[in-house]
Parts: sequence; C-alpha cells; structure tokens
Amino acid sequence: MLVACITLISFLPFALQLLLHESERQLMSRAVETPLVVGKKGSSLDLVMNTLYFGDDVPELLTMAASDRIADTDLSLPIPMYVRFKTRGNPIVGTTLDYFEFRGSKMARGRQMAVLGDCVLGARVAESLDLKPGDSLVSSPESLFDLAGVYPLKMKVAGVLQKSHTPDDRAVFVDLKTAWVIQGLGHGHQDVTQLKDPTLVLKRTESNVAATAKLFHYTEITEKNMASFHFHGNLSAYPISAIIAVPYDAKSGTILRGRYLSKNETQQIAKPEEVIDGLLQNIFRIKNVLDAVIAMVTLATVLAVILVFALSLRLRQREIQTIFKIGCSRMTTAKLIAAEIVIIIFSSAVLCSVLMVVVRSVANDLVRMLFIK
Amino acid sequence: MIPRRPLTRPNMSSIRWLLTFILLIVGVSVQNSDAAGPLNVYVVNYPLKYFAERIGGDHVRVKFPVAADVDPAYWNPDLADIAAYQQADLILLNGAGYAKWVANVSLPRSKIVDTSRKFKNRYIYTEEVATHSHGAAGEHAHEALAFTTWLDLEFAAQQAGAIAAALSRKRPELRNGFQSNLEALVTDLKGLDRDIQTMVSKNPAIPLIVSHPVYDYFTKRYGLNVVSVHWEPDEVLHNRQLRELKGILQQHPAKWLIWEGPPIPASVAKLKTLGIDSLVFAPCGNVPDSGDFMTVMRHNVEDLRRAFSVTQ
Repeated sequence: MLVACITLISFLPFALQLLLHESERQLMSRAVETPLVVGKKGSSLDLVMNTLYFGDDVPELLTMAASDRIADTDLSLPIPMYVRFKTRGNPIVGTTLDYFEFRGSKMARGRQMAVLGDCVLGARVAESLDLKPGDSLVSSPESLFDLAGVYPLKMKVAGVLQKSHTPDDRAVFVDLKTAWVIQGLGHGHQDVTQLKDPTLVLKRTESNVAATAKLFHYTEITEKNMASFHFHGNLSAYPISAIIAVPYDAKSGTILRGRYLSKNETQQIAKPEEVIDGLLQNIFRIKNVLDAVIAMVTLATVLAVILVFALSLRLRQREIQTIFKIGCSRMTTAKLIAAEIVIIIFSSAVLCSVLMVVVRSVANDLVRMLFIK
Repeated sequence: MIPRRPLTRPNMSSIRWLLTFILLIVGVSVQNSDAAGPLNVYVVNYPLKYFAERIGGDHVRVKFPVAADVDPAYWNPDLADIAAYQQADLILLNGAGYAKWVANVSLPRSKIVDTSRKFKNRYIYTEEVATHSHGAAGEHAHEALAFTTWLDLEFAAQQAGAIAAALSRKRPELRNGFQSNLEALVTDLKGLDRDIQTMVSKNPAIPLIVSHPVYDYFTKRYGLNVVSVHWEPDEVLHNRQLRELKGILQQHPAKWLIWEGPPIPASVAKLKTLGIDSLVFAPCGNVPDSGDFMTVMRHNVEDLRRAFSVTQ
C-alpha cells in the first residue's frame, strides 16, 4: 500500500508533463507544417481553426479573386479552401488537388477525385460510415428552415485516404467546384434553350432565355448529366473560406506577408504556428494550476507517509527493544529500519519507472484518443 | 639500426585513378540538369502541342490524347485520361472556354497554365449561341466565348510566350534554350501575320462567308468582312441551306466561301451555281494528316490568297 502511494505520487507529475508535452507537439505539428493562411480580416484563431482543423466556426468568406491575387504575385502557391458544409456530422472540405500533394496524402483505396461530384474520404470517416469506393454520400442541408438554400448533393466516393492521424482523417474532400454545386452556385438541368413547357420559361429573347424557379436541378452528378453542369457568373467572385499559401522560399513568404500589412487591407495573412502557439500558451497555463495542486497533494502525502513510518516505529517499539536486548546493536537496528524504508522507496521508484516507460510508449496514441478529437 | 623504408613518390597509376575519379564527379554534376528527365506536358489542342514541342525540344514530352477524328474542343476524357492529366508536370490549357471538359474535372492548379490568360480581356463573345439565366435578375452562363484564339497569330505568339515562361519556371537552367526557341517560333508566326496583313490590305472589304463560327479571332485581327453559317464540309448542302445562302447574298454579295475542311465536290458544285467558289482554311485544332501547324497555316494563307486575288 505504501509502495503504491509513493509510486503514484512520483508518477503523476511526470506522466502529466509527458502527456502535455506530447499534446502540445501534436497540436502544433499541423500548424508548423502549414506556412501561411490568408482569410478575411477578423479572428485569426477562427481562420486557422477552420482551415487547419476544420472547426465548425466558418470565418467570413473570401472570393476566388483572393486566390488569383496570390497566384499573380508568383511568390506562393495558393491552395483555396472552402470548409463550410457537412455530411453526416463530418466536415466537407472543398479544395484542389494541390492540397493532397501539400499534405503528402496517399490513397489507401480507390482513386483520387477526378470529376464533378467525386469525393475522397478520410480514413476515420470511411470506417465510421462503413463506406468504400463506389458508394454514395449525401451532403447535409445547411439549415432545415432554408428551403431555397444549400440542398443535398449525392456525391460518389472515389477513394479513401490512408490514415494520417490528423484532422484529414475525419474529413470528406471534394473539388472546390463540387462544393459550389452543393451551395447551389453550380447546377445541371435540361437545356433551357430547348424547353417547350411555358411554365419553365420566364422570358425569352434572341440572345438569352431566363428560366423560372420551377426548373428542376439535378441532385446527383452522373455520366449522363455531367455535361449539363455549369456555373453562372464570374468564377473569381465565387466564395472560399481561406487560402493556404505555400511560399516558394523563405524570402517570398516574407514579401507576401508584407503585402497584407496595409491599413486599408480587407484580408489578413496569418502564420498558423504563431496563432496556435499563442492558444496553447493560454491553455497550458492551466498546467501551472495542476502542478500546484499536485505539489500540495504530494506534500500532504509525504507528510502522511512520514506519519505512517513514525506510527509504525512507535507501534513496533517493544519489538525494537526486544532485538536490542537479545544483542543487536543500535546501529544494526537503525540499519534494518533504514533498509526497510529504502526498499519501499526503491520499489516505488522501479514501479514508477516502469509506468513511465509504458506511458511514453503509448503517449502518441493516448493523447490522440483522450485529448485530440 | 633498422633502416627506415624510404618515402615513395605517388606513382602514375594512382594519379590517373584520382584524375579519373575527379572527372567522373564533375561529369555527373554537369549532367544533373538533365538527370530529371524530360517534362511530361499535357495539352488540350494541337497548336499548343506544336508550340510546346518547338519551344521545349528534347526537354519535353508532349501528350495530346485526343483521337485525330475528334474535335478537341468537345472531347470528353475518360477516367484514365483524367488521371494522366493529373500526373502531368504541366497542363497547357487554351483558355477562353476551350475544352469544356476542363470545367467539370479536378486538375492540380499548380500545374495548369492558361496560355491565353494575359489577353483574357480581349476574348470575343460570340453572338451565335443563346445563353440562359435563372430568374429575372440572374447572371448568364458563359457558354458563348469564341475559343480559337490561335487563329489570331499575335495571340498565338502570346500563348507561345506563356508556354515558354511555364517551361522556364520548371527548368530554370534551360531558360536560355527555351527563349531562343520561342524567338524562332514567334519569328515564323509574325512572318505569317505580316503576309496575311499585306494580302488583306489590298482588298480589305471583300465580302466572305465562313462555313463555321470558328474564325472570330482571325476575322477580327485582319478586319475581314465575314458572315458565318453553320455547315459541315463532309455533308452535301441541301435546299434549305442554299435558300439561307441566297438570303445572305442579297445583303452580303460574297464570291468565296471558306470551309474549315475539304468540302465534298457536290457541295462545291452547288455553290458554283450561285457564283461562289470554295477555299479551305483549316483551324488546325487537331493533328493534321500531314505537315505541322506552320505548314497548314501557310497552306491556308496560300488558299486564301485566291479570294484576295493577290499574286506574289
């Protein structure tokens, strides 16, 4: 019992330190790997959390013109992101194929997305929903009360990504254009110029035919109807939530950051490593409180252990006197008692070390399971 | 006392080995620029293939998977073709809405080069195709862009320039070679452009009819007086088309009809009865049966010369 108490007291602060350090490393790794994120001016934390970790809070939207702006600088590769919609509780990430090359993602099964309507699943999504290439997945409506807004699109599962132990595992990836189709900005329907039903045509001129809202829009993109899918207006005005900017070199990154410093600038450029580091500093201040509590508990337990030893000696006073009377010297008696204490502490130390080795070996998976969603 | 072994001079054999080793190291580093292999370039039409090959030479492997009898503008790739495009080092697009399939597939943006991006503000919206919109105030779908930009040889030179720039970004150590090849190509294009300008200037207002609405950039560049119909060169003209032509001729008394491919003799004969001669100006969107882009364009110009009645 005494051994167990001392083991626990020694083990807890070290284990906690190890787990927190591992949590910090894992939380930071994704931010460290992502050089820059561009978004609308506002909360950089919301921007980074939505772009890197696919958080629920969608930042104020940008347009594709912001991505074209970065491409035109020739300083950085822009990877537009549109993380807004969901499917069965999992975030739908609209992006381009460059994202997968940037993250080093590999396919576990099936193929990469190729045509409008294709989606690629993160490993955990495929497991939890029991989906494989060739299956279908329907996007969720944004609001039950907005009948004219985002409506469900039946997507085809093209492939499943290898497990990466990152937020990518629980995301559903689609092409940016598919995300716009989900939003209703792109759609497919019959050839309007060939319509015979007068209730489907609002106005017909020589150069244009305006259709009414009665015209049915396809809710699934198939080989037969894909050619009918199109987008209205200028694609540069289409929405995205953020852009991951991958500078070609360090100097280009610095120059690019400088271009967003103007007071009149409506966009912001954030370095995810700095944003997440700031967040973790605040979160891990709680660790100081935990350390203080553990220190108090440790002190109390040490005092209790000393009390137990003292009481034990007191209770065994007659035994000690008996040993002395039968010829054992005081020094030998003291050595016996000291050996008893050392054995107890040594056993605790060994047990503590064993436990620490076990925790260290499973820290990675333990942190993912307990702290990182 | 044991005599020490005298120090031996390094023998010639050792020196030779050392020199060989050094030369080998130098040789390997010199070849580093080619160690990466030729760039895998995918294109959406034949003019881009021609430009890329002329500029890139042995440093590019240009792939154009469209069958020879298919119009590349309306070709639809299968999944294997799309995967091949996705794996390319560079994907050269024409822009101006050419290759409709591009709008509905996923291609890595980092590898895409829109070769006409620099002059997109000069795209031509054709009036031939009716657009559509949704509701009273909805935006139109952009189905109506003319896309044979390379027929304006000044634009063709700019598209070639975009290709050279893209290749140079991928292989900066070969920039000088690409630039030199580009200059040679642009010289050829500009030479042809001058020939056409000179030919047209002798008789600029001559009325012409074109068989297909694919000459927008060509007619605008050279200020031609053109009316377009929508006829196929491999189909016999029927009476409705001839009536349509008679109606056009009342306002536009053309003597020449420009076909996009060799017309069948029966159609030529019918046109002759209306006093109209035929000539061919092939847009060259796909690989020609013989020759290359420049030979086809030179042949086009020579045939066109008949309409302008200019002798060299």
